[in-house]
Amino acid sequence: MSSTTAQSGLARARRGLAPGGSGTVPGKRKSKLSAQATRTFFWLLLPSVVLLVLIHGYPLVYAAVQATHDGNLLQTGNFIGGENFATVLTSPAFWKAAQFTLWFTIVGVFGSWLVGLGLALLLRTKIPAGNTFKVLLLLPWVVPIVVSSTAWNWLVATPDSLIPSMFRNLGLGTPLFLADPTLASITVMVFKVWVSFPFMMMMTSAALASVDETVYEAASMDGASRWQQFTQITLPLIARSTYISWILMTIFCVNDFPTIYLLTGGGPVSATTSLVVLAYRTVFQDFATGPGVAIAFLMTMTLVVISVILYRQIRKSSVE
Amino acid sequence: MSAVLHAHPESGPALGIDEGKPRRVLSEVGMRGRWWRFVLILAITAVVLVPILVTVILAFTPGPNSTATGLTFENLSNVFSKTLAATWLKNSLITTLATVLVSVAVAAPAGYVLSRGRSKAVSGYSLLLFVMQSLPIITSVVPLFILFAGMGLVDNLMGLTIIYVGSTMTVATWMMAAYFDSIPISLEEASWIDGCSVFGSFTKVVLRNSLPGVLSTAIFAFLLAWNDYLVAIVFLRSNEIFTLPMGVQSFFQQNATDWTSVMALAVVMMLPPVIVFATLNKYFSVGGIGGSLAGR
Repeated sequence: MSSTTAQSGLARARRGLAPGGSGTVPGKRKSKLSAQATRTFFWLLLPSVVLLVLIHGYPLVYAAVQATHDGNLLQTGNFIGGENFATVLTSPAFWKAAQFTLWFTIVGVFGSWLVGLGLALLLRTKIPAGNTFKVLLLLPWVVPIVVSSTAWNWLVATPDSLIPSMFRNLGLGTPLFLADPTLASITVMVFKVWVSFPFMMMMTSAALASVDETVYEAASMDGASRWQQFTQITLPLIARSTYISWILMTIFCVNDFPTIYLLTGGGPVSATTSLVVLAYRTVFQDFATGPGVAIAFLMTMTLVVISVILYRQIRKSSVE
Repeated sequence: MSAVLHAHPESGPALGIDEGKPRRVLSEVGMRGRWWRFVLILAITAVVLVPILVTVILAFTPGPNSTATGLTFENLSNVFSKTLAATWLKNSLITTLATVLVSVAVAAPAGYVLSRGRSKAVSGYSLLLFVMQSLPIITSVVPLFILFAGMGLVDNLMGLTIIYVGSTMTVATWMMAAYFDSIPISLEEASWIDGCSVFGSFTKVVLRNSLPGVLSTAIFAFLLAWNDYLVAIVFLRSNEIFTLPMGVQSFFQQNATDWTSVMALAVVMMLPPVIVFATLNKYFSVGGIGGSLAGR
């Protein structure tokens, strides 16, 4: 989508061009302009900085305070150091949630990637009404989670729902999609893949569109099989975009709340409780603010590390 | 990538010269394959769309206490006359619209600085925005809840909007910056020579040529605000302040869920995003930051 625009931006960035830095502007004007630019930049950036401090900076600092105090939603309480972290790190519920989050993320990322990649490859070939399908297949990403989770609930929640009834009529027993712990975990993950594959499909489609077709003609002249072309040409050429989409989806999955909470509420017996759901429940249902915020803080630290690494990687590959 | 493009500049035309015959054979094989693929993708799409179709069908199916037959608008009119659906819809529209406007107004200037500025501070800010967007919103929700409670912004649409703007601005700024990168600096230089200020060139040259970028950003902010559930469930308490997601969920607190009414409201809720998507899908950037990241 924005890949062509990006190329030119990139090219400009590579040359290290700054405003007024192209040499057509006489030297004197340039410095006058850049002083003016600095002032203008300051004012243009100000609202954004204020919001960032208010909505992101302040809460983060205050969260650090809450995580080290024994307070509640009304008062800060006393400083207790790392006690909340110790409580959290020694509780089986935390590790169970961490484990579920890990599985949820792995299945969410690679499940949606495989489905998205498959569909992107299929849609790249000539198919009657191909564009219509492309649009229709994006709907799961467009429809609000509140709506789709309602529909999924209707389809699978009770033994008399549509899909369990179909299984029964086929003589396959009555699967309890949301009541059996293992099955509920699987259902939530399938739901996540259903919601997320359009994102992967779009990202992959955009990357595939930038691959030059003549490469394949050359490869098939050299006798490369379809599979070889796919693994040795297509995949390496879209590697950067794939890598970015994996990490973004990892962030989406780790941070996901509604997909899980609206389908199962974290149950049955906390089988589908992810770290975010656990943090939410700890704060707003058990009213244990300190431990709840500590959980969120541990996630935050992990995600900061992941995203700084990602940012570095992207910057590096932009410069190359 | 560009290395591959230019490695054999002559291979394209050379291959195209005496290829008349093999290509026709290929295209006949291709035709059969085409219909197979058509059937395959039709089947996949049908399965994928089942939950959405179910929602629409149930919304127009007569409810358990209804005397109507066939398809009916009864559920829709019931939901609007017997529940606060109209209020919820209004609340959602106000919050979303305000979020979109303020997000673009904050992100466009900031994105311009990110795109044109080359100082350490600017690139540091860019990294900061990037890190912030990846953090779980639950971390900031609890401190904000306490802060907002003191300011009377809990159970309040303005409080909700402020948080939405805060959570869209990181990605929105990145999206705007990625778009501004595509606008040649030479256009601005020309205006500077004519005596235009930097601010002037930003509004008159850059912004004026950035409608697609602004639309993509607006759509992103729209979807985030319209679809949010986590912030709403924490900050909204009373029925008449609910936004649509909370309204839809409130049906499940009753003993027996009235499915046809839920689905009617669900259809109301999914209509705006679907309409925006159908009319503006050219500007639709899936996941916002995904597109701008792939670009930058």
